[in-house]
Amino acid sequence: MARYAMVMDTRACIGCQSCTVACRTHNNLPVDMMYNPVTTVGPTGVFPDLHMVHIPLICMHCENTPCVDACPTGASQRRDDGIVFVEEKKCVSCKACVMACPYGARVPNHEKGTVQKCDFCMDRVDKGNVPRCVQTCHQKARVFGDLDDPNGEVSKLVNGNHVVRLLGELGTEPYVFYILGLEAQIR
Amino acid sequence: MNRNVDLEQEGIVVKKSCCYFCHQNCGVLAYVKDGKVIAIEGDPEFPTNTGGLCCRGNIALLHLDHPDRINYPLKRVGKKGEGKWEQIPWDQAISEIAAKLAAIRDEFGSEAVATAGGTQRTDDWARRRFMNLFGSPNGFHNSHLCWIPTFMIETAICGWSPFEIDLGASRCLVLWGQNPGVSSLPEMHHLTEFREKGLKIMVIDPRFTETAAKCDMWLPLRPGSDLALILAWLNVILYEGLYNADFVENCCVGFGELFAHVEQFTPEWAAPLTWLTADQIRESARMYAMNTPGNIQWGPCVDQLGRVSGAAIHARALLRAVTGNLDVPGSDLLTGPSREYITDEEMEGNEFLPEEQKAKQIGSDKFKLLTWPGYSKIAEATKKIWGKAPTAEWMCEAHPPSVFRAIISGDPYPVKALLVSATNPVNSFGESKVVLEALRKVEFMVTCEYWMTPTAALSDYVLPIAGALERPTITSSYGCTDFLLASQRAIQPMYERRNDYNFWKDLGVAMGQGEHWPWETVEDAYFAKIEPLGYGTENYDEFVEWYRFHFPERQYQKYLNQGFATPSGKVELYSSTLKDLGYPPMPEYVGPVENEIDHPELAKEYPLVLTTGYGFMPFHHSEHFNLRSVRYINHEPHFQINPKTAKEYGIKENDWVWIETQRGRIKQRADVTQAVSPKVIVTERGWWFPEREINEPVLGGCMESNTNVLTSTRDEDCDPISGTWANRGLLCKIYKVDGKEGK
Repeated sequence: MARYAMVMDTRACIGCQSCTVACRTHNNLPVDMMYNPVTTVGPTGVFPDLHMVHIPLICMHCENTPCVDACPTGASQRRDDGIVFVEEKKCVSCKACVMACPYGARVPNHEKGTVQKCDFCMDRVDKGNVPRCVQTCHQKARVFGDLDDPNGEVSKLVNGNHVVRLLGELGTEPYVFYILGLEAQIR
Repeated sequence: MNRNVDLEQEGIVVKKSCCYFCHQNCGVLAYVKDGKVIAIEGDPEFPTNTGGLCCRGNIALLHLDHPDRINYPLKRVGKKGEGKWEQIPWDQAISEIAAKLAAIRDEFGSEAVATAGGTQRTDDWARRRFMNLFGSPNGFHNSHLCWIPTFMIETAICGWSPFEIDLGASRCLVLWGQNPGVSSLPEMHHLTEFREKGLKIMVIDPRFTETAAKCDMWLPLRPGSDLALILAWLNVILYEGLYNADFVENCCVGFGELFAHVEQFTPEWAAPLTWLTADQIRESARMYAMNTPGNIQWGPCVDQLGRVSGAAIHARALLRAVTGNLDVPGSDLLTGPSREYITDEEMEGNEFLPEEQKAKQIGSDKFKLLTWPGYSKIAEATKKIWGKAPTAEWMCEAHPPSVFRAIISGDPYPVKALLVSATNPVNSFGESKVVLEALRKVEFMVTCEYWMTPTAALSDYVLPIAGALERPTITSSYGCTDFLLASQRAIQPMYERRNDYNFWKDLGVAMGQGEHWPWETVEDAYFAKIEPLGYGTENYDEFVEWYRFHFPERQYQKYLNQGFATPSGKVELYSSTLKDLGYPPMPEYVGPVENEIDHPELAKEYPLVLTTGYGFMPFHHSEHFNLRSVRYINHEPHFQINPKTAKEYGIKENDWVWIETQRGRIKQRADVTQAVSPKVIVTERGWWFPEREINEPVLGGCMESNTNVLTSTRDEDCDPISGTWANRGLLCKIYKVDGKEGK
């Protein structure tokens, strides 16, 4: 069984938001919803000594899932391959998962009366494709794959670079890893 | 692409189409069923984007069938700009337009009909062909602001202009006023890749951009001071002995003159003009000259300095020459035009335009290089070496601001009709007040468009045009490179949209040009272009299906055999072409159009330095404001201001602020950021508001936040060589928008 993970290489990300728009198109989201905003930090410093970094956010697909734990109906689930998803039919939009997620990765869909989130495009992944945001990224700043495949790019990046997981201290063990460039580390 | 769309259903055909929302023309795979595009994705096999698509590319399907699109020919029935239209058949539109143009020609001469063009995404050779056959030299274009002055001046010096950079073997890349991080993402990807392998990247830009954040050296120069920096680089390179002596001795003329000429331009001289330190100037010059082979990549800013542009471009061309960074591996490549397929220039029919009509081209008496006097000289020299001339469309144009003024004043003669294709002049040409006055005044105007823009709203006819997925595309970088990339039509145009090629052809046929338009479809025309390549395909679609690209084998140092396409056959550091046209043969220093040193009184009233019109995601020029799915990313216009300055003026993040120059004022919201110097204001380009009333007097609010209101197109502010007008390095003042004036 695969363990799916994504690496965000902030050394390459330029904050163009292609992923955000591609994701919205793929998932047919209304304009007020997004699964993966790209935040820009900076420019920090004082002109002209500046740094800027872009941090793409997304559901972290945690190993320890406060959202799944909080869900009273069983709509929020985690697959064996690590993909966390919402089974829409079971969701009653109580928003307990929204409160539980420390990453703010869950969004209520007011039109449908459900809570939705990134599911690593499991429709595509199950057919052997990469998530839409990965496919559309000009900069190849997102890398997706199986962490257990030692020859895969994901495990090479995770093992070969200094990677961080967001809010690591919470112990949620996310499967989204960030490579922080010099620009980010200087901060 | 939508997860609810089943791509494995029967009957789907995958077409090799392309994106059309900027000049990159990224490859797209279009999934077509029953004549409808049901999904698109980036083509992983396309060499530039390798599957990537930016946020604009991703909304192509929303663009294809957006409720605001113009889908049928419209004829004005109310007063001009009133917004009352009647839907008419294409045949009627074409015959009525032809009759009106014929009447204008009979009364005022062919030159009384002008055309305005926009991006390369249209078949401008067809527009040119129509105009040549019609007899008017007054086609014009936004191209003066975008690479064309660079192309022509570099060609005057070096015999062609590098459009291809050989990054793989390069050691140093200078991005001059360019931000590929928002404007050419495929290129940005390659930069990231090569930088990991050791390529040094330098960004020269007053703003800390997406690209500056990823480079090895950033030079935040004073807006508009590029010329001073380049001259000082030349001084450092020549006087520190960092030039390529072999290349200079064997391949250049005029080195002695140049050596003497640049002695005065020391880094200490340039430091106060550029706001850089002399050390920064030395260090950056050394970085370029000591890391050869290297490249200087074009960015549009230097073309947009107004009267400084020509000299700055000239001086920059000399940097490449003295360092020998021309046509060797890893340097800027002089590819020349294709000798294998038929170029755009050969499709234009320039031989049909009589000499006496060429002589009437508006602006050719003042700005000689990008008009017939200069173009003829360049074409003569390039034909000797390359066998072909540069594309005349873009390179040989009437001077746009002078045409607008001619419409208003009738001087030098009346201009009565304007045919607009792929541009929205009121937002995209300089000094918008003048442009708007001209558009309101011109007797007859036809606009080919996707949307009802402020310009279209003032037209007599608005014609629906096919977009990316509805038409094929060939990219050969304005006909100035030797390779090509080709894409198919995914579907036939929806509703009654037509290709712009068909518009010019149909209009030409209606005006008696039938024998000169032998190609029924645009695919036929493209196939005529590429048939000599000898791929053995039966038609254009087959070529795309099986080959899609043509990249000739790269040849380096072609000058060793053929020389350079200049009158002397060498790189002319002392330019005979410019001298013959009446311009300085070596770049003389001139200050920015408006600056605190030459204009101290003006600087008292307008104390801040303005640079206008930077590109930003998710828009392209004045496009895409209609599309909610990208507009949400950047809903309102913003300008950049340093926190120190903002505090001084009592301006907080997101406040509406007036920005005013001698020409007028606009309002944008404050983006308070360290990205710019405390002395600099930078505005976003293109803004208009499709959500408002598009008709008179509101006209989509096209003057309210439109940065071109601030720019200058006065003859004395334009570059004497090329005629480009001043968008950068101006002086402005700012003040908060009064509560009552706010929105």
